[in-house]
Amino acid sequence: MTTDQGAPAPGGAGVIHDLGYRHYDGPRLGRAAIIRALYWHSLRSAFGIGRGVKAKIVPVLTFGLMCLPAIVNAIAVAQHPGQAPVVDYDTYTFRLRSLVMLIFVAAQAPELMSRDLRSHVLPLYMSRPLRRLDYPLAKLAAFTAACLLMLEIPLVILYVGNVLSAGGGSAVWAQTRALIPGVGVAALWALLLAAIGLVLASLTGRRAYATGMIAIYLFLTWTLSTILVGIAKHGPAGPGAVPLGPHAVAPLGARLGGLISPFSVLDGVRQWLGGTNPGPIPPPGSVGFWYGVMFLVLLGASLAGLAARYRKVGAA
Amino acid sequence: MTTRAPRAGKLGSPPPGVAASERLPDEGEARITVTAPPQLRAGPGPGGAGTAAAVIQTEALTKRYTGEVTALDGLTVAFAPGITGLVGANGAGKSTLIKILLGLLPPTTGRAVVLGHDVTASGERIRTLTGYMPEHDCLPPDVTGTEFVTHLGRMSGLPATAAKERAADSLRHVGLYEERYRQLGTYSTGMKQRVKLAQALVGDPRLLLLDEPTIGLDPAGRRAMLDLISRIGAEFGISIVVSSHLLGEIEQICDQLVVIDGGRLLRSDTMTSFTQVSQVLLIEVDEGAAALAAELAGRGLQPRRSGRGLLVRIDGDVTYDVVRNAVADLGLPLNRLEQQRRRVEELFRDAGDEEERDDD
Repeated sequence: MTTDQGAPAPGGAGVIHDLGYRHYDGPRLGRAAIIRALYWHSLRSAFGIGRGVKAKIVPVLTFGLMCLPAIVNAIAVAQHPGQAPVVDYDTYTFRLRSLVMLIFVAAQAPELMSRDLRSHVLPLYMSRPLRRLDYPLAKLAAFTAACLLMLEIPLVILYVGNVLSAGGGSAVWAQTRALIPGVGVAALWALLLAAIGLVLASLTGRRAYATGMIAIYLFLTWTLSTILVGIAKHGPAGPGAVPLGPHAVAPLGARLGGLISPFSVLDGVRQWLGGTNPGPIPPPGSVGFWYGVMFLVLLGASLAGLAARYRKVGAA
Repeated sequence: MTTRAPRAGKLGSPPPGVAASERLPDEGEARITVTAPPQLRAGPGPGGAGTAAAVIQTEALTKRYTGEVTALDGLTVAFAPGITGLVGANGAGKSTLIKILLGLLPPTTGRAVVLGHDVTASGERIRTLTGYMPEHDCLPPDVTGTEFVTHLGRMSGLPATAAKERAADSLRHVGLYEERYRQLGTYSTGMKQRVKLAQALVGDPRLLLLDEPTIGLDPAGRRAMLDLISRIGAEFGISIVVSSHLLGEIEQICDQLVVIDGGRLLRSDTMTSFTQVSQVLLIEVDEGAAALAAELAGRGLQPRRSGRGLLVRIDGDVTYDVVRNAVADLGLPLNRLEQQRRRVEELFRDAGDEEERDDD
């Protein structure tokens, strides 16, 4: 056996590659452009674009469901001109919105995070001209954008529906002024839910576990918070329980009960910032500030967790 | 192809003047005769001929993990252009070295320079110029070969169109052109390894770091992978570091070997100097191998069993005479008499044997 070191095997081997190797002498994009490419790639995959049909089921269904109230509203105001809108911009059917976002985040955050962990593709990203935290940064930006689209597009439909049936410029202006805080509230939702979803999804490579973890966390805290608010509001259920009157200030327990769940924290922040439409929790009043603090704590903890997680994953 | 095996000194640092004047004309010539690429690159090093001596250079590189584990222990070594085998047992520090070279792990002490860039200061620049093929499985099953390699091309900094073209090129070079629209989950182990190589190649690197590229492959697959690596090194003008725990396997395609053990450098040399003094003669007889071994030992040789045959070191023509006489005197049916280049692995084994004998 004689091996001619380094040289290609004579005959055969060289023939296939008649075209030869072409070096690349075009432009090379920098780190910012690579992050942007990863952002687009992740945003597309959050909606199953560029993946199979199966990957599109949840995004399409949840998005359709989310748009439903806006469409119903558009039809209602079109048939009865002058009637007040059925759906508000800032709360946007709170129950449906939280349920839809719960499903969307639980299903799609693992699509962005767990998938790459599962297939151990991270070393390939790390061996590219990226810094360690660029990967979670691009993913976070992409998923926040995805949640924004989920939340804001229905608001736009709602607005268009209302404006088309509105009579006169002042009515359009009123709609526009009502829309602006709604857009802001939806942005808070997107920020917080995306961060929570991604940090939980980054803990495991098993998609089913990640989905379960996110769904259980969001659902359980929401249920707990509802129970606490309910108990504090009405007192322990029993023969002696007397419901409070509609104009009474809710007891402190009821006002604090919402701090447990991200969804009610978001609504607490909305009311603290001046939202007057009734929400799932009683007006927090003097404790509203703590809803703001809780929002920042949840967001900060999620971002810190994400950073800590990927500082570690990259090195492994 | 001799151009890629510079006659370097022990640590790959030839006298600069000699090296530059010797290599550069050859380099251009080799390129033109092989594939005539439209654009020739100046030299293997970023600074042209001056720094062309080593693709990678480490100085007293040490990596200690928390918990007192020392992965690298004062490693000083130079990797010349061409194909370099990085050999060591599992846990010898190969993967740690590769991660440090990519700028992903900070060295505890010492320094390393890759393609003229310091690993601690310019990790990103190094990763732009370097392709990395990890040891472990890293492929999502539900993506096609084209999509996967294109995406990683974009992650290497290629614009969208260029990434597509280069992905198709890379997949063609590794022989997966026909299968490029299939999902990675349907690929065989050999095909998966080749996709991993294609994604390392997509950014048109100057240097490839391949971590155990033949792992998990059957003999035919190993052969094919080694041929591919050898071709990339020879025809594409890309320097390659191939890590392996199997010395006998990668020595066939390497110009240089770097052997590490327990994080220390065991030996670093060009293949030619590894094998210069290593001519052996394979003797195969149909029967009576044991008797022949005894006879040869009696005549002053040191025969060693190797499969069905015997190996003896060649010390000039005398060796042939001794073997011929021994076989003839014993009247054995001689089947094969073949001059072989000894495997480097055997060199190390011999060195070990000698040490043992010294102890006696």
